[in-house]
Amino acid sequence: MGTSVQVSPLCGVYNENPLAYLVSIDGFNFLLDCGWNDLFDTSLLEPLSRVASTVDAVLLSHPDTLHLGALPYAMKQLGLSAPVYATEPVHRLGLLTMYDQYLSRKQVSDFDLFTLDDIDSAFQNVIRLTYSQNYHLSGKGEGIVIAPHVAGHMLGGSIWKITKDGEEVVYAVDYNHRKERHLNGTVLQSFVRPAVLITDAYNALYTNQTQSHHRDTEFLDTISKHLEVGGNVLLPVDTAGRVLELLLILEQHWSQRAFSFPIYFLTYVSSSTIDYVKSFLEWMSDSISKSFETSRDNAFLLRHVTLLINKTDLDNAPPGPKVVLASMASLEAGFARDIFVEWANDPRNLVLFTETGQFGTLARMLQSAPPPKFVKVTMSKRVPLSGEELIAYEEEQNRLKREEALRASLVKEEETKVSHGPDDNSSEPMVIDTKTTHDVVGSHGPAYKDILIDGFVPPSSSVAPMFPFYDNTADWDEYGEVINPDDYVIKDEDMDRGAMHAGGDVDGRLDEATASLMLDTRPSKVISNELIVTVSCSLVKMDYEGRSDGRSIKSTIAHVSPLKLVLVHATAEATEHLKQHCLNSICPHVYGPKIEETIDVTSDLCAYKVQLSEKLMSNVIFKKLGDSEVAWVDSEVGKTESEKRCLQPMASAAAPHKPVLVGDLKMQDFKQFLASKGVQVEFAGGGALRCGEYVTLRKVGPTGQKGGASGPQQILIEGPLCEDYYKIRDYLYSQFYLL
Amino acid sequence: MATSLKRREQQPMSREGDQLIVTPLGAGNEVGRSCVYMSFRGKTILFDCGINPAYSGMAALPYFDEIDPSTIDVLLITHFHLDHAASLPYFLEKTTFKGRVFMTHATKAIYKLLLTDYVKVSKVSVEDMLFDEHDINKSMDKIEVIDFHQTVEVNGIKFWCYTAGHVLGAAMFMVDIAGVRILYTGDYSREEDRHLRAAELPQFSPDICIIESTSGVQLHQSRHIREKRFTDVIHSTVAQGGRVLIPAFALGRAQELLLILDEYWANHPDLHNIPIYYASPLAKKCMAVYQTYILSMNDRIRNQFANSNPFVFKHISALNSIDDFRDVGPSVVMASPGGLQSGFSRQLFDIWCSDKRNACIIPGYMVEGTLAKTIINEPKEVTLMNGLTAPLNMQVHYISFSAHADYAQTSTFLKELMPPNIILVHGEANEMMRLKQKLFTEFPDGNTRIMNPKNCESVEMYFNSEKMAKTIGRLAEKTPDVGDSVSGILVKKGFTYQIMAPDDLHVFSQLSTATVTQRITIPFSGAFGVITHRLGKIFESVESSTDEETGLPALKVHERVTVKQESEKHISLQWSSDPISDMVSDSIVALVLNISREVPKIVAEEEVAVKSEEENGKKVEKVIYALLVSLFGDVKLGENGKLVISVDGNVAHLDKESGDVEGEHEGLKERVRVAFHRIQSAVKPIPLSAE
Repeated sequence: MGTSVQVSPLCGVYNENPLAYLVSIDGFNFLLDCGWNDLFDTSLLEPLSRVASTVDAVLLSHPDTLHLGALPYAMKQLGLSAPVYATEPVHRLGLLTMYDQYLSRKQVSDFDLFTLDDIDSAFQNVIRLTYSQNYHLSGKGEGIVIAPHVAGHMLGGSIWKITKDGEEVVYAVDYNHRKERHLNGTVLQSFVRPAVLITDAYNALYTNQTQSHHRDTEFLDTISKHLEVGGNVLLPVDTAGRVLELLLILEQHWSQRAFSFPIYFLTYVSSSTIDYVKSFLEWMSDSISKSFETSRDNAFLLRHVTLLINKTDLDNAPPGPKVVLASMASLEAGFARDIFVEWANDPRNLVLFTETGQFGTLARMLQSAPPPKFVKVTMSKRVPLSGEELIAYEEEQNRLKREEALRASLVKEEETKVSHGPDDNSSEPMVIDTKTTHDVVGSHGPAYKDILIDGFVPPSSSVAPMFPFYDNTADWDEYGEVINPDDYVIKDEDMDRGAMHAGGDVDGRLDEATASLMLDTRPSKVISNELIVTVSCSLVKMDYEGRSDGRSIKSTIAHVSPLKLVLVHATAEATEHLKQHCLNSICPHVYGPKIEETIDVTSDLCAYKVQLSEKLMSNVIFKKLGDSEVAWVDSEVGKTESEKRCLQPMASAAAPHKPVLVGDLKMQDFKQFLASKGVQVEFAGGGALRCGEYVTLRKVGPTGQKGGASGPQQILIEGPLCEDYYKIRDYLYSQFYLL
Repeated sequence: MATSLKRREQQPMSREGDQLIVTPLGAGNEVGRSCVYMSFRGKTILFDCGINPAYSGMAALPYFDEIDPSTIDVLLITHFHLDHAASLPYFLEKTTFKGRVFMTHATKAIYKLLLTDYVKVSKVSVEDMLFDEHDINKSMDKIEVIDFHQTVEVNGIKFWCYTAGHVLGAAMFMVDIAGVRILYTGDYSREEDRHLRAAELPQFSPDICIIESTSGVQLHQSRHIREKRFTDVIHSTVAQGGRVLIPAFALGRAQELLLILDEYWANHPDLHNIPIYYASPLAKKCMAVYQTYILSMNDRIRNQFANSNPFVFKHISALNSIDDFRDVGPSVVMASPGGLQSGFSRQLFDIWCSDKRNACIIPGYMVEGTLAKTIINEPKEVTLMNGLTAPLNMQVHYISFSAHADYAQTSTFLKELMPPNIILVHGEANEMMRLKQKLFTEFPDGNTRIMNPKNCESVEMYFNSEKMAKTIGRLAEKTPDVGDSVSGILVKKGFTYQIMAPDDLHVFSQLSTATVTQRITIPFSGAFGVITHRLGKIFESVESSTDEETGLPALKVHERVTVKQESEKHISLQWSSDPISDMVSDSIVALVLNISREVPKIVAEEEVAVKSEEENGKKVEKVIYALLVSLFGDVKLGENGKLVISVDGNVAHLDKESGDVEGEHEGLKERVRVAFHRIQSAVKPIPLSAE
């Protein structure tokens, strides 16, 4: 029997909300993506919170907020503890994306959904895979093989193939079949007839008319037009995803045209991003790796782009027209929002959107047609406390500390009373909460004044606080004190230690400013004020989303032609449209589950395994057809020595079977074939092929796309009794294998 | 016929397909020109394509003449060293090879630089040049890249690679052909060093392990001790105002040494005024590669990378030539070539060798016959490049940093994997023999075969891998019991088999089935009843009916062919194509044409029928006899009507009536039975009723 497969979406169906889907394969629960939106709306995660603890593995597909944003929160708050699988770039760039999100948020609000530590710990245990690496799960998932494959949308972006017992479940969202500057196109087309395909209908209604070449010209023309009249150009971008493609386009163009206008790439993590990206060449397009192999030109050694990590650097930059790429693309937070507010009222300026903004964000609002004349923006800023507020804050803090200390001492007393018993372990050293002591060295804030009271935790067994005392009992034998050889071993770790120390922060380099922001424990508060921003700058949107458009989505799905298809992540309209399209022409099992609706896409396929005996195989004559070989077998079931089922040749003559013609006749190809044989041939009306004078050939029955819905081909050949008839029939037979 | 049969008898057919052959074309009982040929089930793989650096021209190549390059499906290169990759441009451009080549990203990037340098440096005559720069550039387009752990499938051959730890980008290849796994280690090291990861232990145990044996039964000192000796020598030498020369091959281990030095300098501020140079334009060029493929290195480097790129050295500078070098005081210089044959390292050696404050550190395995090998034995005098002799006063230290697995690593690696077959390559004959003997003692149970073939000596193994098929779809609705029959289409793709019902073919494969309906019109002006009557005489089953639309009469012959009266002048035949229906329809056509041509003759049908039956019987016997003779040669008519077939002294008795065969030899019996069965089905009439 087939492998049981259930899909239940947790977020992101019938709308463009972030992606999170639960797929259960024979009881093993995969969480496919764990996304959040730029507004960090906790209500979106409710379905996830109900199932988070049952998840056995998390597969991430792209390094952006929509695909992995909720990971730190889910790990910290929702009880998600499963191992996470992702490619190296998704892991690294995803981490940077989350840092950037956090730091941008922290600047403008009392953001407390997760902390940098939560991000670090969520990403620490990501298991990193390479493309087409077949990773065999163990334990509960024994027998399941997962493999990421090129998706094409972002660096390291993956479509996931989950295989169990030869049955494939493919999860492919946001793929791009087109090759770009820094990425190869997806390899989704190479998967044929998977049992289940889970894909998005995001672009089903959208058709990209412009060719990429024209689009680039238009893109660069628009930018240079605004620069030349003295305007500034703002591109709100994501932290480490699609922005890479834009950087390459600009970089390339700037070196061709020798422009002198500066380009700034401004996020909290821009320099780390580019540093890492430079070492990810293996994951990029063939042309990039080729150029590195032959001339050692790293495409991401950016000569025209200045990397900035804080706004003051941009403000200090020489005045004059410039291009700024800043995060976040949604304009909900980050530098992009500040810059937008500053630049919006100058008609010379340009804000160029390269992707559709997330639903309900400022970017989306500005992309509506016609663009709004005014937008109401709440600008928030973090300011250090001063004067009375500071005093009040400190008093409050002190009061909290005292209460805390009091409570702690009470608790300790309790503990001491309870655990003071005979089972004391006398050698247990004094427990020192190293974490807090470490902090007291690093920070000068008032927060840890009472560290000495707080930091020492007397061992639960000690009657009264005292320093640990070790009774140095030495063993003696007749030669004197017993020597422990370990004491005399040369410590050869010394060499490494220095370097490891230099290694420092394990989880990624944080830029200095970022670090200062992290360590900044000065009391501060967030003040908000509402502004009405006049939007007089030009607003342009161009498609650099790097996703396949509706037409190619359809042809890709038709080519893949899954046995069952699950549609997710698109507006209700697009989902319905694609569903209808696929039902009509691709496959009869199309599902569009609602949130938390569990659908069963277990294939109704029956299968069993048999061994093919040598005797049988030596009598089988294979015929080659495309990249596979076919033969007819008549056999009898027997048992091998190891009691396995095996097929043996029939003892008696096999009952004759109905002959089967195997092959795929394409009328167009057959026409050419006949023409090459000297037969006059032309298409008559209704798809019929007129061969010679009298004979006609046509396909009957349900035509259309091959696969799924249509059964075997029906070909009708008719004509009067004549020589031509038999000749053409022979040619027709030559196109097939008779089994 | 008889001879071919004989051959088959000796080598049963089933074994032929299961034979796996491994032939070293180079590196068999030698170090250098690695190249190992492997073939199994019609798939052919070549591992590595090196040269022997000790020779030049054709003599340096592996024995490519032994194989037909055009039959090779896949060529896998483990790492960029000359003895593993340098005959690749020759093989790709000057032979008939047309398969696919794979190596890792880092290997490919360095391969080009290294070979370009090799072509420039090797001073051989034009005739001896195996390839030029142009060939290298052309070969770059043909080389495909593979990432660690990435599974690639070519013509049903599946392969992926593991980290080998030897140099940057070095890989061990695991190949899977029809379920039989072969691991080729290339050069590998199981010890993690400053920048490389240790060789991984593959997840699956291979059936064959082709493993390097450079270090033989030697044991290495621990890395930390070697590093300490290395830095101690350098520190004390420069502290006494001496100079340190490290002759090293430009790529691979040199980078490791530079990392050690840079780090040591960083930890010892008192040394900061002493310069370190590396004098190799090639190494300088390759630094960009090292600075980029950080992901192939170990966690230590990756974590350091978070702060700053460790391959951007702070205390080490590059030198282009000896002219840029100002020899004014203590310094540390790393220079190529490693063997001190000529070049920068030799120039410095000549200047420094007579001062006893100076030191020379030989950091790795040295080829016999080079000056570096000579000075390890600390002779009193050395010959300078200008022919003069000079006293060798400088200290010479040999501290090996070559990253080859030592005996401890090799034996634990093999014990973890427990491959049933071990093939030793890439080692000097004596070392290899010693290793083989010692490994025998490690695997005493006798289940492990250890082989060390010489060049061009084939190792043959047999893998009777089971062919498993998956029956799917309608055919598998009911799981059959022993004795049930299973009939369907067997689809083979790569080495996976599926059995399915014809109707399911388009569902589970990219193939599709078709039905061809034929409709033919024949002029016929007679009465339809005549046809009905005549058909009834010839065919067993003729059903008449009337066409629903036109109300005209119609006939169905053998439930296959429908004969319809279309108009006064025409009748039509319609059927769905298959050989039998085609035959039936042909005979109907002939009959109809006959009717319209002539009035039928009256013949005594019964007599003819009986007579023809007898005649037929005789004819059949004759045909059977003739066919058997053509197959087996010696066929005689024996007693009680049995046929006696003797082949090479084996005799089989065939009963013509029942098809039973008696005889001693099983193989012959089986063949006769099958042959007779086929002949019989060919000469006997076909039953017209089909399922």
